[in-house]
Amino acid sequence: MASEPATAVELEEEQRLVEEAQAGNLDSMRPILERYAQPLYGTVILPRLGDAASAEEVLRDTLATAVEKIGRFTWQGKSIYPWLRQIAINKVFDVHRQAKRSRRLADALVHEVPAETDPDSHADAQLMADQERRAHRVKIDETLDVLAERYRLAIELRLVQELPREDCAKRLNVTIGTFDVLLFRAVRAFRKHFGSDVPEETHGD
Amino acid sequence: MATKRDDDDILTGSVPSPEDEATPAERAHAKTFADLVDKTLAGRTPPAMSADDRALLEVATVIRAAAGNAELATAKRDALVESALRQAIGGKAVKSGAVTPIAKARARRAPWIIAGASLVVAAAAILLWFAAPRRIHVVDRAPAALQDNWKSRPADPLIGPISRDHAGDASARLDTIFADRLDGYRELRMRGGH
Repeated sequence: MASEPATAVELEEEQRLVEEAQAGNLDSMRPILERYAQPLYGTVILPRLGDAASAEEVLRDTLATAVEKIGRFTWQGKSIYPWLRQIAINKVFDVHRQAKRSRRLADALVHEVPAETDPDSHADAQLMADQERRAHRVKIDETLDVLAERYRLAIELRLVQELPREDCAKRLNVTIGTFDVLLFRAVRAFRKHFGSDVPEETHGD
Repeated sequence: MATKRDDDDILTGSVPSPEDEATPAERAHAKTFADLVDKTLAGRTPPAMSADDRALLEVATVIRAAAGNAELATAKRDALVESALRQAIGGKAVKSGAVTPIAKARARRAPWIIAGASLVVAAAAILLWFAAPRRIHVVDRAPAALQDNWKSRPADPLIGPISRDHAGDASARLDTIFADRLDGYRELRMRGGH
């Protein structure tokens, strides 16, 4: 997806497709779903679940719900993306509730972008996704900053830059086995601090 | 120095400092986790793992996603969109003329194609019956090998011996077995994108 904001032409096209779907041709939703699947997956669902398989299922359910309920959507002169994003967030919380798992990951990231989008703002999907990704990154960096330097480096090299283990070990002047221990401890330490200032029960569904 | 207590309590125990010597148990667990990260980065996250490893891997995935390292492959995206459209359209009453179902024409022709193909196969079978020599060849054919994760199998190799210290972790063990079995099911269901 291009990082440019949606043009008026793209919004017009989106509006036409939505109206077509609301008139009964649900297959006209396909280009919209294809366009927004990646930002929903990469910036809304996966960061709140941390599991690719679950995230894919939630994405599919989100898109299916959007198609089923397109009749309830009211065009307000802005992209449909905020509406899709809200459906996705609700589905994520459903997963946490059904699986009775901790909502720590979702809660840690929920403050960054308003859950309800201001109907008066003409928010563009890509701008929203970029803003959300930046907000996540800030939250991650804040947590990394409280870790020991070597733990921060281990996470930065392996999980952010995605360098092979061998290269990470060389950069830190340790054996691969020792690097594995560093990364293991680093992720444990990160988990202990990430979202630790957010009480789990503060957000309604 | 990492204590035994730390090794036992991965999620809530205190984390040793980077300079502390690792115990053999911690090294082994760290290696297991490093392998899981390797596979996840390659897009092959194993479905079966301990609850502790899963919790840590979720954190690693969140870090990667925030760095923009979690892309949805185009083929996977298209399969999910198709599946969502089918799920949505299949789940509601279709008003004739109002809704354009996906592959409508294909769906309409499908029963006739199946009926026609069945008729041809039946006719060919009858012809072969009369034309074939009256000699029976017994072909010793081995059954098609099924993948291990599609077959009924004991959970012992997955769980291993249960130490007294971990006797209370039945929930985690059930999670591991369920995830392993779900993998086979998902592989069958999602194969071909459906």
